[in-house]
Amino acid sequence: MGAVLDRGTAPLLLVPSVILLLVILVGPFFYMVWTGFTDLHYALPGRDGSFVGFDNFRRLMQEDQIFWKSFLLTMKFVFWVVTIEFILGFALAMLLFHYIRQHRFILTLLLVPMMLAPVAVGLIWKLLLQGDLGMVTYYMRLIGIIDLRTAVMSNASLVMPAIMMIDVWQWTPFVTLVMLAGLLSLPKEPFEAAVMDGAGPVQVFRDVTLPLLRPIIALVMLLRGIDAFKEFDKVFILTGGGPGIATEMLSIYTFRINFKNWDLGYGAVSAFMVYLVVLIMCSIFYKAVYWNEGRAKPPKAGKS
Amino acid sequence: MISRGWRMAAVATLVVVLVVFLTPYIWIFLTSFKTRLDALADVPVWAFTPTFEHYPKIFIDKGYLPLVWNSLFVAISSTLLSLTVGTPAAYVFARYDFPGKEDLFFFFLTTRMAPPISIVVPMFLLFSVLGLTDKPIAVILAHTTFNVSLVVWMMRGFFADIPREIDEAAMMDGHTRGGTFLKVLLPLAAPGMAATAVLCFILSWNEFLYAFILVAFEGRTLTVGIPGLVTPHGTLWGQVAAVAVVATLPILLFTFLVQKHLVRGMTFGAVKG
Repeated sequence: MGAVLDRGTAPLLLVPSVILLLVILVGPFFYMVWTGFTDLHYALPGRDGSFVGFDNFRRLMQEDQIFWKSFLLTMKFVFWVVTIEFILGFALAMLLFHYIRQHRFILTLLLVPMMLAPVAVGLIWKLLLQGDLGMVTYYMRLIGIIDLRTAVMSNASLVMPAIMMIDVWQWTPFVTLVMLAGLLSLPKEPFEAAVMDGAGPVQVFRDVTLPLLRPIIALVMLLRGIDAFKEFDKVFILTGGGPGIATEMLSIYTFRINFKNWDLGYGAVSAFMVYLVVLIMCSIFYKAVYWNEGRAKPPKAGKS
Repeated sequence: MISRGWRMAAVATLVVVLVVFLTPYIWIFLTSFKTRLDALADVPVWAFTPTFEHYPKIFIDKGYLPLVWNSLFVAISSTLLSLTVGTPAAYVFARYDFPGKEDLFFFFLTTRMAPPISIVVPMFLLFSVLGLTDKPIAVILAHTTFNVSLVVWMMRGFFADIPREIDEAAMMDGHTRGGTFLKVLLPLAAPGMAATAVLCFILSWNEFLYAFILVAFEGRTLTVGIPGLVTPHGTLWGQVAAVAVVATLPILLFTFLVQKHLVRGMTFGAVKG
């Protein structure tokens, strides 16, 4: 590239990455949209992908109660895990920030759950929550939280809270990590000024800390929200969507339509809905975090 | 200002928190060294005579070792490919202005966030047409969908951290723009690049859904081998735990290497650690 690299030709360096993504991501995306307009089905004869217009969309909107149940379940999951992870993670970050001088090593230990492969997390908790032999179920029985011989993963009323708890276990450290970085990046002056004006700890937190951290709070909640919405791995290995459809979140439902029923035309519409929600959350994320700093600047919210 | 009592309470809370977050992992680690009898005891067994039979049994006798090599191969290849195509792009984002720049940047973000379940079906069909299914290359390409954008987002930040005066000085010394990028900026950004590479490796190694759909037999990665271990009639927990430990321990060691850059990597460069 050497000499030819100047203001006009430099953007050519973007070409390999863009082409790669166009072929393996954008291409398939549009193929999915197209499939959504056909009756493609791998298990039924005669459903070879003829154009059916908006039939699949109509079916999804008007007839498919399971889809909307699944959508609601996913939204509930997102709401609860993001809320709980944020509160616990932020509290933990405050605790490390204010009381612990050598927090680096402790943070390292805390990071363990979030770095594990989600599939492995599912596996670990499957072992811990086995009906009669699980270590955690044993101690839960001991302190009387659950009955003798309750199998958590096949109990329709316990299974969702259990999966939420596992997600909280895995991702609370992420919130702590980011919020602590945020706290460490804050300027000292506003806090000194507030204390000089006679503000108590609660006032300082409400009037100084929270407003200064607002961009980072938005960021961490959106990132967790997007990830939680896409949740697949842990549920897949823990319950596969069961018992019945008690844990069938959108990704699992979409998986079932496509790879168990082989109803690819309809599955594409379901997949598109997942994509759409993620895309919307993604643009909110982008606007919330980057646009308020002016469009041309490189991404920066915290200080190094 | 902070009283002794409060500090003690904080430390106590922290100990409880650490126990909660670490015990599950310690437990699976212990289970991988337990005999069947200890693993299936009614009351949890914390102290026991360790056995080392599970590791050779699952990885050699039951043939899980190739899965480890597959995972390594996929993760390394995907990391190298992503760095190769992503780093020049990140450099352009950091140093040049062109029409539609921020829109393109947003496009990279959306590819990083794209839900695998939405893309994997048409991707599977595409790769069947190209004859790539059940080959590691399919998973490598699938993993670049999120890794390329991770590279672009992270490396943009690292290049932006290098003052522009350095470019100017290098060009005064007679370097071309390309030469400046290759011989001056890349070495300066090398630590950031190493951290980015490790994060790419981790994301690829941990990924499940793409790999699960795209390769079923010889090309299986370690995460894909995990669900098959759990059977309704009698799971061999010692061996399962051994697989879980091998699938996670290298990643934990890696994490400690890149902890400094972890925040930046996991927030798309928005927060620097």
